Amino acid sequence: MSYRWDFTPVIANAPLLAEGLVNTLKVTGVSLACGLAIGLALALMRLSRHRVASWPAGFVIEVFRTTPPLVQLFWFFFALPLIVGVEMTPFLAACVTFSIQSAAFFAEVFRAGIQSIERGQWDGARAIGMTHGQALQRIILPQAVKRMIPAFMERAIELMKTTTLVATIAYADLLFAANELSQKSFRPLETYTVVALIYFFVIFLASQLARLLELRLARSGESTVH
Amino acid sequence: MKWDFNSVFANTDALLVGAVGTLHIFAICLVAGLSLGLVVGLGRYARAPWFRWPATAFVEFFRNTPVLVQILWFYFALPMLLPFEISPLAAAALGISLNSAAFSAEIYRGGIQSIEPGQWDGARALGMGWGQAMRRIILPQALKRMTPALTNRAIEIFKMSTLASAVAYVELLQQGKLIASLNYNPIEAYTTVAVIFFVFLLPMVQFTYVLERRLRRSE
Repeated sequence: MSYRWDFTPVIANAPLLAEGLVNTLKVTGVSLACGLAIGLALALMRLSRHRVASWPAGFVIEVFRTTPPLVQLFWFFFALPLIVGVEMTPFLAACVTFSIQSAAFFAEVFRAGIQSIERGQWDGARAIGMTHGQALQRIILPQAVKRMIPAFMERAIELMKTTTLVATIAYADLLFAANELSQKSFRPLETYTVVALIYFFVIFLASQLARLLELRLARSGESTVH
Repeated sequence: MKWDFNSVFANTDALLVGAVGTLHIFAICLVAGLSLGLVVGLGRYARAPWFRWPATAFVEFFRNTPVLVQILWFYFALPMLLPFEISPLAAAALGISLNSAAFSAEIYRGGIQSIEPGQWDGARALGMGWGQAMRRIILPQALKRMTPALTNRAIEIFKMSTLASAVAYVELLQQGKLIASLNYNPIEAYTTVAVIFFVFLLPMVQFTYVLERRLRRSE
């Protein structure tokens, strides 16, 4: 059976796909920034000696690591608005879901990174009169974060792949644009192939960058955590 | 806001059908993904370029594209090239299995590479061929080290199975969607689905923690 490939409808709709890609990057960027901030907070809570802080943090981390992201997204999009009585846009639901979801994973990275710093560093900071917070901010985190960079990159790439789920709640990301275009043009083969390739190039580039960074860190004798 | 789970419990049989669907696709992808992954992993480790190159391309492609895109490609795009339709189960199982194969291939490769070269030398000294050494000496030791990573993969596959709902395959999330739209109870329906996944996966996650700890102690 010979199929006649025709890419003209896909090329003609390049702006639609470009807009989708921008929206994909938007969700990824917002979720990444919020996820890192929430992840650090969760990690500090989890490492805390007080159970009122460590227990809830542990619970949030476990729940978001052990339930499927698509179930979380549906819950935040369809269920949460009814509970709190606020309208939820697909963009907002996606950002909330992926921020907390990636925060749960980032928290474990932060925790491993902070725990990987030798105890002597804490003692040294205390000896020159620093409080716990100061020591964390000025001594521990700067060293820990460097070790965590490869794990962060890996997680950020996972996050970008996960954002394709927003297409199922009709947010106009790259995959959603593909769905629309393939229905409009009756050219699913060309559309999905091109979109898969776009994802591949963006994600492959990011992966190579991550690999390069990891190599450079390894060469400088820095140990990394995963 | 009053929570009322009765409308969900009245549909227990629908959820059961969904659970069977989830377990069905999970079993297929687990077996297909992890065994194909072993073949690809061996390819990544092989010296022959005709084996190594395709394996590398396969791994890079499937690791660097989102699995939902792969599923939709198999469901909507592939039938254009084939003389027959592709069922939702087939499309979702293909996407998830190939994706898991690519990820587990890297686990196998890492595991095999972690075995000391002396083990290979010893096997060769006993007169074993490459295949025999791999099967009897290297893989059994490597598999032990890979178990936590492979169980993590299994958990990922279980979570990924929900993506099959995007092509309307009948599994737990799809049934939750159905119940929510028939009874106007998204809160209860989606909470129930989330709880089912959590309750089912939590023991698996805890089990991997135990495995990881035990492995760290024995190495």
